[in-house]
Order: sequence, then structure tokens, then C-alpha cells
Amino acid sequence: MHGNPASPARHVRFERRELRRTVGAAPSRAALLSAALCGALPGAACAYTATLGAASPQTVFLQVGVGTFTNPPYINGGQPANNTTINTVSATVASSAVGTGTAQAMTTNSTQTQSFWDNYIYCSVPGQVYIGGFYRTAGGTTAAALVTATVPAALTDTAGDTIPFSKIQWTSSGNGDSGAEPFPAGTFVNGGVQNVGSMASNTWNESCWTFSYLNNSIPPAGTFTGVVRYTLSAP
Amino acid sequence: MIALRRGAPLSAFFLACALSIIWARPAQTRTIQIDDTGTLALEPSVSLRWKSVAPPRSGSDNLMLGTSTLRVRLNVMPWLHRSLRIYLNLPAQQPGPIAISWLTQGRFIPGQLRSGNRVLLYAGPITTPFLEDTLTVQYSVDGSLVRHTFPVTFHFETDED
Repeated sequence: MHGNPASPARHVRFERRELRRTVGAAPSRAALLSAALCGALPGAACAYTATLGAASPQTVFLQVGVGTFTNPPYINGGQPANNTTINTVSATVASSAVGTGTAQAMTTNSTQTQSFWDNYIYCSVPGQVYIGGFYRTAGGTTAAALVTATVPAALTDTAGDTIPFSKIQWTSSGNGDSGAEPFPAGTFVNGGVQNVGSMASNTWNESCWTFSYLNNSIPPAGTFTGVVRYTLSAP
Repeated sequence: MIALRRGAPLSAFFLACALSIIWARPAQTRTIQIDDTGTLALEPSVSLRWKSVAPPRSGSDNLMLGTSTLRVRLNVMPWLHRSLRIYLNLPAQQPGPIAISWLTQGRFIPGQLRSGNRVLLYAGPITTPFLEDTLTVQYSVDGSLVRHTFPVTFHFETDED
């Protein structure tokens, strides 16, 4: 009897339901029941809340000279990797040119010409050293990340002779670039930590440095070396 | 003075008539939130990651995305044997504008939504006390707003005359 859809009892219930739905503006049973479910009964929920948070709020990357990316370019999913290579920049000054005041172009053993951002040929070698990186952070505008150079007081040779690091300077550019460079031109200090550029958050920053030796003094003959360490510091 | 006193009620009468015409409305519609007790996320929280892992050379691309799988279970018993239109409502909320999009297993309608709006999720007859579907929900939010973890609330609702 209960399973028969044509039973009189079911037919009556159907008619009553239709009647209620046509009655003026009185709240329907459905509305009342729903209101009760959402507003009064314990355990009833009428909203869903998800908790969101940044998975990796900060990422920093700095490359000076050669670097490593897996599956570059970055914009297609490549990932930065560690590279411990220390590149050199050098100049050999002919004895006849020593101390003339004519700056001597320095060359590098870095082979990095491409920007890992998009594989664009951004720098020219051996005349330029690539420097680039980014500072990725969530949570609004922050102060820029700073790139500093830790510079020894002087370049030295095996005999203990020195050439002040301030005899080395650099210009900054990049193929196809316009506007200010994130890592501008400069001159080394004679020992200490100096700012050599900054990175606004969430942008890729890069420049090509062209080094030169000022050649305005006469040091003893020899091979003078020194190591500058670059550091990226995020706020 | 007398004329003014007698004139005032007359003006008020016409004003009342005008207002009553302006404010005349069709049948009143109630929006009712639907009980979603039993709705569960498979992940306890949503991890937001950069849409573009690589930041741009200029300008900013701060969009962060996060995905969650949601087993939605709506108590639609009050509307059993009736037709129902169910909307997903994402109210405007802190920390700022947010967008969600979702894919479904077929019971509900896939779609997308920006905070402060709602969109149709289901339209059809109610033949069971509960409507269930599994949604793959993607949240999109400006990373500059993500200072710390924050809640995002949405609900399911229907309209009744």
C-alpha cells in the first residue's frame, strides 16, 4: 500500500503541499525549517570556512657570474640551483701602459650571457659579468632586498705589494635595456661592505657589469689578486 | 499661518503617494542559507603558491593560487520533491578581493566567482535529502594581502518567494 504511487494517501499529501505553496506571502515550511536548521539547531552549519596561507612566503636568489638553473628559462618552470663557481675578472697591463691613467678594460672567465629568466642573451662575454636575482615575498610591499659587496682593502701579490681596490670600477648595462639599472655603476671601496644594488620585491633584477682598472698609479710588477663576496640580504 | 497648516498635510499626502509608488515591490524574496553540515575539506588548510614562480622583470605579478578538495554535503531535505536553485555565495571579506573557481564531479555546476558575488551551483529537482559532490576549488588572491593565514568563508543559499 505504501509503495503504490497511485495510492489515495499519497495523492492527498501532494495536493496539500501544492496548496501551501500558493498561499500568499506566508513563509513556506521549507523556509521555516531551513531557518531553524541554520539559525537555531546546534551543529547546523550554514557557511564553510577555509584557512589559506602562503606555502613559501619568501624566496631569494642571487647570481653573480655563472649560475645554474634546471630546465631554464625560469618563466617556463625552470628552477634555480646552487653554483659555487668563483669567476674572475682580470686585466693585463702592458709595461708601456702602466700608470698612464688610461683605464684598462677587464675581462671575465664567466660564460654567462643568457638571462635565466627567459634565456635572452643579455650580457656579452668576456667583457661583462652577469648579476641578477629576485626577492619573492608575500604580504605586501616591503623594503627592497639589498646586495652588498664585501671588499678587501687591496689586491695583493705574493711579495706583499698592494693595489687599492678603489682602482677598480664598473659600468652597468644590458642588451636591450633602458632606464636605471638595478645594479648600477660603481667603484669598489678600499675594504669594507658597500651596497651595489637593490631588488624590489617580486621582480626579477639583472644587470651586466663591465669592469675596468683605473691604471692611474704605478705599482710594482706582479700579479695582484683579491676576492669580493656578494651578499643578498632580504628584509 | 492657517493656510500653511492646512497645506502641509496635503503635501504630505501626495508625497506619501509618490513614495508608495516608488517603493512598490513585487513579491518579496527571501534568501535562505542551506545547511552544509557534513561538508569536509580533504586538506586541513590551503597552501598558496605563486602563480608565476618567476617574478616579472618589471611591474608585479603577485597572484597566488591554492587548491583544495571539498566534499560538499548540503541538507536539502526541506525542499524534497521540489525544484531548487542553489547559489554559491562568496561574501566580500578580509583581507581583500579573492576569487575562487571550482570543478565538480557532475552533480553541481562548475564555475568561478569573485568575492562579493554569488553564482548558480545547482538547479533542478531535489529527490534526496542531501545533495553531495566533490569540488576541486582553486583560490586566487593577491599575494600582497597574504600577511599571515586567514579564513575565507562562503556559503550555499537559495531564494524563496
